[in-house]
Amino acid sequence: MRPNKPAVAMATAVLLTLAACGGGSGSGEEDSSAPQDVAEGGAAGSGKDPDAEGPVEVPEDATDGGTLNVDTIQSPTTFDPTRTYFVDGYGVLGMVTRSLTQYAYIDGEMVLVPDLATDLGRPNEDNTEWTFTIKEGIKYEDGSEVEPEDVAYAVKRSFAIEELPEGPTFNLTYFLDGDKYKGPFQDKGEYRGVEVDGQDVTIKMRRPFAEMDYYAALPAFTAIPEDKDDPETYGDHPLATGPYKFGDYKPGTSLSLVRNDQWDPDTDPGRIQALDGWEFRFGQDQAKVENVIVNDTGTAQTTLSYDSVTPSTYRLLQEEGGERLVEGTSPCTYMWYLDQTQIEEKEVRQAIGWAYPYRNAWRAAGLIEGVTRSGGTTILPPGTDGRKEYEALPGQDGTVTDPEKSKALLKEAGYAPGEYEIKFYFQTDVSTSVAAKEEIVKGLEAGGFKATPIASTSDTIRTDESNYDAPINIRSSGWCNDWPAGGQAFSAQWDGDLVGVEGMPNLSNLSEPDIQKEYDRILTLPPEEAIPAWGGLDEMIQTEYYAAVITGYDGVAMIHGSKVGGMENNNVIGLPTFAIMYVAE
Amino acid sequence: MAFSPSELVNEPSTEQPAAKSQDVAGRSPTKIALDRLRQDKIAMVCLAVVIFFVLIAIFAPLLTRLFGVELDGGVPIEDTKPDSFPVIGPPDYAFTWEAPLGLQPSTGDDNLAEWFYGARTSLGVATFATIVSTLIGIVVGLVAGFSRGWLDKVISFVIDTFLSLPFLLVALAIAPIIVVNYGDSPEKLEVAQISALLFVLSALTWMTLARLIRGEVLSLREREFVQAARVIGVPTRSILFKELLPNLIAPIIVSISLGLPAFVTAEAGLAYLGIGVVGIPSWGQTVNDAVNFFSTYPLYLYAPVIGITVLVVALNLLGDAVRDAFDPKTRR
Repeated sequence: MRPNKPAVAMATAVLLTLAACGGGSGSGEEDSSAPQDVAEGGAAGSGKDPDAEGPVEVPEDATDGGTLNVDTIQSPTTFDPTRTYFVDGYGVLGMVTRSLTQYAYIDGEMVLVPDLATDLGRPNEDNTEWTFTIKEGIKYEDGSEVEPEDVAYAVKRSFAIEELPEGPTFNLTYFLDGDKYKGPFQDKGEYRGVEVDGQDVTIKMRRPFAEMDYYAALPAFTAIPEDKDDPETYGDHPLATGPYKFGDYKPGTSLSLVRNDQWDPDTDPGRIQALDGWEFRFGQDQAKVENVIVNDTGTAQTTLSYDSVTPSTYRLLQEEGGERLVEGTSPCTYMWYLDQTQIEEKEVRQAIGWAYPYRNAWRAAGLIEGVTRSGGTTILPPGTDGRKEYEALPGQDGTVTDPEKSKALLKEAGYAPGEYEIKFYFQTDVSTSVAAKEEIVKGLEAGGFKATPIASTSDTIRTDESNYDAPINIRSSGWCNDWPAGGQAFSAQWDGDLVGVEGMPNLSNLSEPDIQKEYDRILTLPPEEAIPAWGGLDEMIQTEYYAAVITGYDGVAMIHGSKVGGMENNNVIGLPTFAIMYVAE
Repeated sequence: MAFSPSELVNEPSTEQPAAKSQDVAGRSPTKIALDRLRQDKIAMVCLAVVIFFVLIAIFAPLLTRLFGVELDGGVPIEDTKPDSFPVIGPPDYAFTWEAPLGLQPSTGDDNLAEWFYGARTSLGVATFATIVSTLIGIVVGLVAGFSRGWLDKVISFVIDTFLSLPFLLVALAIAPIIVVNYGDSPEKLEVAQISALLFVLSALTWMTLARLIRGEVLSLREREFVQAARVIGVPTRSILFKELLPNLIAPIIVSISLGLPAFVTAEAGLAYLGIGVVGIPSWGQTVNDAVNFFSTYPLYLYAPVIGITVLVVALNLLGDAVRDAFDPKTRR
């Protein structure tokens, strides 16, 4: 999914939450406060347990009740389950709307376990049909029962990308009639891709899709009663099936969650309900938030933030002993997407890869190398199953800046020093974005480019970047794995058919016949062959076309007050493990 | 009989009283005020401080070269450690002449250079805004006070309208508009941002002086010397600038001297809020960046804060002393 803030190069507090299960290949660490080497990539959800059952044991030191406060600089724009695709929305909804499957924090690892479904789904022989059995007796916050038809409706609703944009779009690629069905608001007829039989919901695919169990953990696969749905307002109060329900919600400012007494812990292998509620406050000032939590007096003891801390606070907490600091991996790749329709010469694109001042830009933006950011060369972040390591530019490991190589490549392409203009957005009202911009301009100019930073603001940057006609030739964003295999990353951002689609999912405008052919071929492969093939596609895109500069992989360093219990890093999405948190004594 | 010696001595003294009365009679109110100011020790100290800052502002480039530092010269990976703190100087190492006020974390830029140029921005913006705002205030006040009937009413209405505009909100509202319209090119954006800042500062602060001047003119225009001038047929413009204006020197000077510190504070405050010029060194910007580090690297915050405080206090005290000096009722 998209990182919270696709700011220039890096904004310190972008929390890329990515549901990327490491597929068993990462190294899990029990001690979440020890700095994990971000470059290795943790095992985000490295296991699956289809038989997991509730209830989850509430820790002994948990007080029954109390409220946890979450302050963040982020301002999520929507909590509609079908539209939620930025990390923080996902984290919040994980406590409110249950999906078919979920990730549970078990023994230091994130494990894929059942949620509304009785198991992790049962595919047919060639993964073209998946059947989920909905548990009986699960109730919404208003006491009505969850019906399998509600889940089927939610699946249909996920095709209404005009009314409910910005959500995940794998259904368009994989589900039956994904290219034709336009959702229940426009297409009043039946949708052939989903069938209900008793408590069973069967989803039919138009291509083999081996990872439906992972996909089913996203908020879009929740239960939504059709007669209570209004696409314009559902996001203001989605019907809760989880331990907490929406209380007072002021979009962009604050959200309070309160206990949902209809939630039955016996049906839920991943969550506890130890609090009276949550208070989220959005759009806060980072210095203030960090200062309050560091001081740890009064309500600050039950306050936390999911933004990565600045270097000064990091130092203070390390000096304290590091217990209130939660560090970990976050399987996200930040990239500078080089617009293929504007930067046509491969040598110029490669020159940018050498001129980009990786380490200087990270440092200037307040990122801590090895903790909140590390370098690399592949589109897929560390920990992804099937990831292949390679160097698209020989000698460039993702941290090397060599202006001479850049100038040489520009000369090869026939450009005089200072002639080729690079235009990119930055945010004038975010000081880390401005600081990173200064370094990037210096680096690009040293490499023989002309750098023109174009001003935007934090409110408008997302729409500015996804505008096809924006006066830029480079877009700064990233991708967080939705699940641990490569297919999802390429389906979402590198499919040539996505060029021209509203919201600009294919940020580099890459559409080449040989890439497309390989992509289509991999979609037909059985899972064991497909997984490593995605790694091969990664290498092909970068070595043949060099479509993006990999500006770093993400890591998190979050802080909390001394009475916040159960806060670990959910390394599937790079957020706190909200589902198991409580107020400690 | 001979003259007594005392009678002889008395004679030459008849000339002196005439000379003395010439000295006393020759002092204008302005001169009286300035003399009183000269004798006020606090005012003189403050004046020295202000002149010191003005010199820093004017000679900022020279001073940075003198100390061997450079503006925006930091290379992050060379000048800062992996945890973002500087490799030389405070907070982790001893004082060094290479960076007398230390380096900035994260970027490695020199703090002393930022301080010098920040003084330049603060004083430059404040001076310009003061001059423009004073000029507008004087002209509007004179015209409003001297005219009768509808012109006075119209001008008063305009003054009231401007007074009702909330300064901060207007500044906050203009900032994103500038970014959207001029964001395409860095140079145009900088010019646009400075112009917007100066416009906001000048356009929303001339009203107080205008009202003051208008009040003074209203009381002065009924005086005999003004009426005499009108009867003689002196043109209005001459009356305004040659008869009335010299009598208004006092409130004008006071307004200038109190306005300067207000503008310095306003510029710093706006820069802290993110309005103002991004990318130009400014004490307010530095404070904004340094707030995060106040417990781990206090000097970074204290330098601009002390700069702003000392300058503003000096200007304020000087302004108070000027006002006291010009007010005949506070004769000591």
